Parts: sequence; C-alpha cells; structure tokens
Amino acid sequence: MTATPPATAAPRLALRVDGLRVRYGPTIAVDDVALDVREGEIFGLLGPNGAGKTSALSAIEGLLRPDGGEIAIGNVDARVHPLRAKAQLGVHLQTTSFHANLTLLEIVRLYAGLYGVSLSAEQIRGRLEEINLQGEARKRFRELSGGQQQRFSLLIATIHDPPLVLLDEPTAGLDPQARRQLWDRIERFRKEGRSILLTTHSMEEAQAVCDRVAIMDRGRVLTVDTPAGLIEAHRSDPRVREAAHGEVTLEDVFIGLTGRELRD
Amino acid sequence: MSAAVDRPRIDASWLTPLKALLRADTAAQLRSYRALALTLVLPLIVLVVTSSGKRAAQFGSPDIRVGLALTVGMVSIGAIAYSTATAQDRDRGVFQRLRVTPAPTWTIMGSRWIVQAVAVLLMSVVVLVVAGVVQGVQLSADGYVLTLMVALLGGAVFLSIGQAIVGLIPSAETLNAAGRLLYLPLIFLSLFGHTNALGTPIELISRWSPGGCVETLLSAAMGASAWSGEAWGALLASAAYVLVFAGVGIRWFRWAGR
Repeated sequence: MTATPPATAAPRLALRVDGLRVRYGPTIAVDDVALDVREGEIFGLLGPNGAGKTSALSAIEGLLRPDGGEIAIGNVDARVHPLRAKAQLGVHLQTTSFHANLTLLEIVRLYAGLYGVSLSAEQIRGRLEEINLQGEARKRFRELSGGQQQRFSLLIATIHDPPLVLLDEPTAGLDPQARRQLWDRIERFRKEGRSILLTTHSMEEAQAVCDRVAIMDRGRVLTVDTPAGLIEAHRSDPRVREAAHGEVTLEDVFIGLTGRELRD
Repeated sequence: MSAAVDRPRIDASWLTPLKALLRADTAAQLRSYRALALTLVLPLIVLVVTSSGKRAAQFGSPDIRVGLALTVGMVSIGAIAYSTATAQDRDRGVFQRLRVTPAPTWTIMGSRWIVQAVAVLLMSVVVLVVAGVVQGVQLSADGYVLTLMVALLGGAVFLSIGQAIVGLIPSAETLNAAGRLLYLPLIFLSLFGHTNALGTPIELISRWSPGGCVETLLSAAMGASAWSGEAWGALLASAAYVLVFAGVGIRWFRWAGR
C-alpha cells in the first residue's frame, strides 16, 4: 500500500472531478459527481449496470462533453486543455479494438506516434516481450486470445508512461489466471508511481486491488472509502444486514446500498 | 489543486500524430485486398469492356470511356470502400480507441481522407497509363495535370458522399447493403450522362448528378470537349456537392457504433 502522507499535507491528486454532470437528452446519467484519485492510489468505481460509471469515465477520457462540472488531470484542466489532459492519461476501454489489418508491431508504433513517443523496432519488441507477446509481433489483434488482448491493450494504454491510468472493467471475461496476472500488473503500475482509476463489477477485485472505492448508483456517488472502511461504516445499516449472509462483505454493502433489483 | 506527476513529455503538435495515422492507414489500405480490387481492377475492367467491339461507339469517344473508368474507380474508392471501412472500424471501436489519445480529432479522419485521395490519384495514373498503352489515348502534359487535378476533385466528391453515407447510416451492416444499392445508380448516372440512351430528362439528371459532373470535368480536362460553360457549371456543382455531402457527413457522424 502507499506510504501514508504526513497528517498536515493534503494528498497530491492525480485526478479531481467536481460537480460532474452528463445528460443524454432528458436522462441524467451522471449527477453532480465528485471524486479524487490520489497519486499512487488504486481507486475503484463500483456500481450496477446503468449507474453512470462508464459515462463518468467517458467524460474524464474526453469521449463525451459533460454538461457541467470540472475535471482536472494532475494540474491540467481537461475542459480547457483536452489534448494536454489526454496526454496525461492511459486508457483501457471496456470494448476496444485496433485497426484490423495491422500487426501488433504496427499498432504499437501507431500509438507511440500518437503520443509523440519515439520507439525503435527493438524497443517495441522489448515492450512486447515484457507482456510475453514477443512471438505474436506479426499477428493481428483479433488473432490473440482474450488474456493476450487485455495485456496488449494495457501495453498500449501505458505506452507513453502516463501518471494516471483509467481501466474500464479490465478483467471482464478473463479466466482466473488471466485475472490474477492483470491484478499483478495493476499493482506493478502503482509501484511504478502511477495512479489507477478502475471500474469493476467484481467486489473480489475491488477488495483485492483497490485502496479506496466509490459506490455509484443512478448517476450519483453514494459513498467513498477504503473497502474495509466501507464495511465498517455500513455494518449496522439494516439494508446491508439484510443482504449479508454471515460476515458482512463489500458485496453486502454494495447490494445493501444499491438494491437487489436487476439493472439492464 | 496540487501539482501532479509531470512525466510525459508529449509532442503537442498535430503533425506527429498525423504522420503516425497516415502510416497506419496506408498499411491498412494496402492489406485490404477488397479495397485494392475495387481501387484498381474494377476501373480497368470498365475501361476494357466499354472499349471493346460495338459497345465502344455507344460510349462515345475514347476520352469519355477513360473518364467513365476513372469515375467508376472514384465511386468505388470514395463512396463504397471508404464508407464501408469507416463503418466497420466504428463498429469495432477503433475510433473510440484513437479518440482517447491526444491526437486532434480531425487528424483521425483527415488521415483517412488523404490516403483515399492518394488512392484516387494512383488509380487515375494506372488507368491513364493503361489507356495510353492499350488504347492509344494520349494527352498533352497540361491534359494529364488537369485530369489528375479533376480526379482529385472527383475523389473529394465521392469521398464526401461516402462521408454522408457513413454519417447517416449508423451500422456497418446496413451501410454495406445501402452501399451496394447506391453503387449502381451512381455508376449508371455517370454512364448515361453522355449518351442519349434513356432520353433527354434522364440525360439531364445524369449530366448534373455527381458522377455526371465529374465525367463532364474529366472530358473537358482530357480535351474531348472545350472547357465550356458546362464544364464551369460542373466545377461549381462538384464543389457544392463536396460542401453539402461533407457537411452532412461530418454533422451527423458518430464516432461510436451502436
């Protein structure tokens, strides 16, 4: 875990979101959301389907224009300097793909170029070797397995050594081995000094890798704390107690706060 | 707000991302065999078919037949191959992945337009060379330059039509079907603009259709007809087509598939 800063010093922020609002016509997808991601922190954004996680993330990534609020990536105001803000971000989208006719080598070269990073062919091979894809350099992205695709996608997200990495459901559809590998990789990102904001449906994942989590529902942030802090704070909430089968878990807190009904 | 890690030293100019995109889009284009076939083979087939036997006279002078082959190539590249590839990439999420990088948005589409424009130029050179070697169609140096310039304008006309198609039709599957349906009218309108086969009203529509205007311009550029008032009219109409179709295509374009 991160070294605790002195009590008097405010934590340095990799991301600050304040009063974020996103609407799709009459539907409010993100409603006055505020959250901070500290430097070197792994922050989880949890919520049922349609809670507004991906919309909030899309606004931070610059994929959609929010209707209101402030987004600062490090010390860059993302609404005033969107390209500079994007340069500070590494992004792993929920569903991602690359040019179908390009090899992995060419895709790495493309994205390095988009970030203004100059990599020789040898350096690109070295990067592929780091994620055990050196033998696949001439393959197309679609020819990789699910785990390989995730590893490659993460490599592309961090090709420019960004201080903040956004991961939208990074372990969705992965087998347990690939999921554990990815958790290790996320932990390594933190050790390299990066901050990570990830969305997930997996409470196990949130508990295993996140320093703090926010639970979102119906476009609003309901609560923010460490996983243990959330359990402690909501242990005696009747809704949480009703959801719990024995020892209260993060999932019980999640179900207690967001309800049992199915979401589309 | 506290100062954050200030690590990446990013080249903020648009030139570096544009170069990277151009290299990638060119490689992708060269590996797309369907696009290559549409780009080069189809215009040559049209050139040969319209120039052989009794049909040749029906299609007018050699210059007009060359113009028709060029127009078919432009329709194939701009309206069909470009819109289909763009819609497929949109459905796969390729554009969203590119949009989270610091590359200015216009460079993502601009690179594709430049690659397609180069494809139109290459196709035009190949058709002109084959027409010269096989059919003896020779132009003056000015004629070649003017023809290639008109080919670029024609390419822009059909690329803007392709942009409008991909802007208005949200899914690649629907677009593929619509593209096939649009292909024939676009070609046939070009085809009959310089014949009287379907009667005067159709000929009039045909002459002022996007393909008809490009045909008129090509014909004038290659010297088959003097650069007349009709050619100027076709030039203005072509520019208007580019503005209107590109405007529609850009206004309604969605970066993400449904």
